[in-house]
Amino acid sequence: MLSAVLEQTLNGLMAGSVYVLVALGMVLIYGVMHVLNFAHGVLLMVGAYVCHFFFVRLTGSYPLSILLSAAVLALLGIALERAVFRPLQGNLRNQVIASLGLILVFENLVIALWGPNALQMKVAATAALVPLGEMRFSVQHLLVIAVTLAVVLVLFSFLKFSKFGTAIRATSQDRMAAMVVGIPVERVDWITFGLGTALAALGGALIGPLFIVFPQMGDAPMVKGLAGILLGGMGSVPGAVIGGFIIGIAESVSTVFLPTDYRDSVAFIVMVLILLVWPRGIFGVSVRGED
Amino acid sequence: MARFFGVFLLLVACGAAAQEKLAIGIVTSLSGPMAAPGKFQMNGFRLAEEEINSAGGFSVGGKKYLVELKVYDTRANPAEGASAMQRLATVDKVPVVLGELHSGVAAAEAPVAQDYSIPLVLTIPTGPNLTEQGNRFLFRVNANNDQLTQALAEFIAGQAWTPLAFIAWNNDAGRGGVNGMKKLLGEARIGYVGYFNVGEVDFSSHVSNIRAGNARAVMLLMDEEPGSLAIKQIRDAGLKTQLVGTLAMGSDRFLKRLDAQRLEGMVQYNAFPPNAKVPGIRVFSERYRKKYGEEAHGFAAQSYDGLKLTVAALQKAGKIDGRALRDALAAIEYDGVIGHIKFDAKGQAHPPVYVTQWCSDGKRRILYPETLKADCGAG
Amino acid sequence: MARIVLGIFLVLLSLMPAMAEKQPYLLHVLILCFLYAIPAVGLNLMLGYAGLVSLGHMAFAGVGAYTAAVLMVDGHWDFWLALLAGVLAAGVAGAAIGAICLRFRTHFFMIVTLAFGLMLYSVMNNWDEVTRGAAGFPGIPRPAPLGGFSFGPLPNFYYLALAAALAAFAVQWIVVRSDFGRVLAALRQDERLAQAKGVNTMLYKAAVFALGSAIAGLGGVLHVSFLRVAAPATFNLAESINAVLIVIVGGAGSLAGPALGALVFVGLPEYLRAAAEWRLVVFGVILVLIVLFAPQGLAGFVKRARA
Repeated sequence: MLSAVLEQTLNGLMAGSVYVLVALGMVLIYGVMHVLNFAHGVLLMVGAYVCHFFFVRLTGSYPLSILLSAAVLALLGIALERAVFRPLQGNLRNQVIASLGLILVFENLVIALWGPNALQMKVAATAALVPLGEMRFSVQHLLVIAVTLAVVLVLFSFLKFSKFGTAIRATSQDRMAAMVVGIPVERVDWITFGLGTALAALGGALIGPLFIVFPQMGDAPMVKGLAGILLGGMGSVPGAVIGGFIIGIAESVSTVFLPTDYRDSVAFIVMVLILLVWPRGIFGVSVRGED
Repeated sequence: MARFFGVFLLLVACGAAAQEKLAIGIVTSLSGPMAAPGKFQMNGFRLAEEEINSAGGFSVGGKKYLVELKVYDTRANPAEGASAMQRLATVDKVPVVLGELHSGVAAAEAPVAQDYSIPLVLTIPTGPNLTEQGNRFLFRVNANNDQLTQALAEFIAGQAWTPLAFIAWNNDAGRGGVNGMKKLLGEARIGYVGYFNVGEVDFSSHVSNIRAGNARAVMLLMDEEPGSLAIKQIRDAGLKTQLVGTLAMGSDRFLKRLDAQRLEGMVQYNAFPPNAKVPGIRVFSERYRKKYGEEAHGFAAQSYDGLKLTVAALQKAGKIDGRALRDALAAIEYDGVIGHIKFDAKGQAHPPVYVTQWCSDGKRRILYPETLKADCGAG
Repeated sequence: MARIVLGIFLVLLSLMPAMAEKQPYLLHVLILCFLYAIPAVGLNLMLGYAGLVSLGHMAFAGVGAYTAAVLMVDGHWDFWLALLAGVLAAGVAGAAIGAICLRFRTHFFMIVTLAFGLMLYSVMNNWDEVTRGAAGFPGIPRPAPLGGFSFGPLPNFYYLALAAALAAFAVQWIVVRSDFGRVLAALRQDERLAQAKGVNTMLYKAAVFALGSAIAGLGGVLHVSFLRVAAPATFNLAESINAVLIVIVGGAGSLAGPALGALVFVGLPEYLRAAAEWRLVVFGVILVLIVLFAPQGLAGFVKRARA
């Protein structure tokens, strides 16, 4: 029993790393702009398709395709910020609605352009298996974890130590005061949004080869990632990491003891229970405008 | 010469276009979670449409018609299904509707078909209770979940595959399959049951539990996309367990997603073994490959047969009328790609269900039914 | 002026079956509009008047629908009693789950309601013995005749759906005008102030959550009776999100909002049916445009156009 739980914990860490990767971009955008972008999951999916396009049709180089996909999605994100989210600033409800509309647009656009069938993205270099006790994991999966951790570190130090990161944090804490001290908050907004969607593309490009590339690939990770950032504490990068892993582990370990058709429910019950203890999430701080 | 031939074809096409078209309703999933299997369904319908029309159409009561498919997207949503059905019956005024993938949506469409006395011919939904509602206008070409599991259970009963574990879609098809197997084999032979939502792709926790439960066989109740992922994850984890699959997993396309080594020994039920030495299957498989550039899919075969047999029934009915067509469908005996189709009193057909097995060289053999048993290359 | 327009509109609606005798499809779509408008009214009370954005609303419609379905098919209850039981069950579930959800605010409230919506969906999908599971619960009857008036035929069911929708709108009207409604509005604007004045805010919010869920239950029971099948897909996350979109696009906090929203959400996709593969893309674009250029929803747009 104990070994089963340990094994499932490891599975949960692996699954959780995907949720964390999805959650990071959302956390960044939420932290700065207080926009809960439900379309983040479909942007991840679009990123995977764009990466697949560059990789299979054009370049044949996986790292180059990841970069190109991130660049394309960053531009898309900047355009979306300009056209949709900036005009709706301060209206939490309508931002959520607009992002739901964007889900319809992108998911069906991809189906219209690529068809509903899944695409395979085989990256030979990362297909090898690494044994870990009785289990084996692919290099791609370890890559996901490595990149996730790297992104967390880079993001954390960028926000903490760089000048622009300080501007982002200042804007996130008090938009008015940031404006007063001369921080170009509009530029902070669009750069943050571009960065956030580029992270979505990175997620899609890394998860694609792990499984398959298909129109709904972002949906479940988005909902789980959302649960993760909520219980971790909205807008907190370490919170998103811990939250994503908790959801992943709760799901996996529950399959040892409980009927598997209630696996989702277990993850959400864990989220609600944690929130009942820490109403703002584990790393949550009281955020302006939240009360 | 080529140009002349082109002009000739154009003339023929124009001549055909002048012929009256008969609209036939199609309900399917073009978007939403069932869009991928919906594509196979449409491939089958389109192929049948093309064949019927290029052969000059068909005649009903002495009048020649061409088929025109009126396709509506129901997105795996019951309300959309009922609306589409209503629109087909009263705006487009079609004499018959075919298709659907999702049992719950079909259950919302069937009463509307009855309201307007037009037949609804299902080609994919497997929920057994659909044909238990006393609806005389509902027909189902494909085998339902009970029939599919019956065949497989008969086969599995003779194997020492206990406990039998599952990884199954948490939808009508997956749950129906698990419940059917529990009923037929007895709970005692069932091991771990791992359900997952449509769209989930990580099966690692199920794989660990299957290893821990020492399952002798794993049954995969899902479509080919998750199926290929599940097998990859099971084999990559080093599990040598016997694999048991569904009709989505006995095809060359499936092989292309994986490889012969990972698939060797796996058995699956199949409504339609594309290489079987049955003349109808051979011809259909070749035509399908020519049009779509890939191996035929069971869903396509079922839908192709559905449209062909409906047109045959229209000819028998002698007029364009839902009730007359219903009676013709109820009486028809049709030899299709998926086998002999005759609807029982409940509107359910009883096509043969095959069990095929992957050989070491990436070909398949037929294991069941006994009468059609054939070696590698025939499945 | 507004009353005259409303009066003409109601007369038109009630004459519809006679006018559209040859167009049952139109009646069918209108019935679906009513059936989507009813839960939207419940959500409008929560979202528009009390500021509670629930992303699990349709799951409560499902609680009502499945309660009534089981009572009618397995318990052989009369439709009207089962309807009442369904509405009550949805209301009780709303009160109980609402009590937990209401401990959270803004995004937290949204995601916690989403979580409970998914859990309730799981029960509908997984509890095969009672709900018939994922394949759906077929054979749900249309209401039994009432005083010789049968609800089977489409025009007759239309009147039932219309009456139920009007009842829901009437409840909304009464609540909004009552003291209860005024307290809710005060809560939405400044909850702390209301608390300081000695209002038990939690009690008020739980009450509106329960009421909104009960109204959703009414819509749910009629929905499955109309389709003659209950399927978990009718009450999933996508449908709950749809309900929010209906309210917001129609105009949250506006009496007519849910009606306008339902018209757009059920009517427009049906109208766009001809566009087949591209219709959802078009629909999504239209949605974003509405939010951008008519931020108070259609009702606000109409109001501004008149002003």
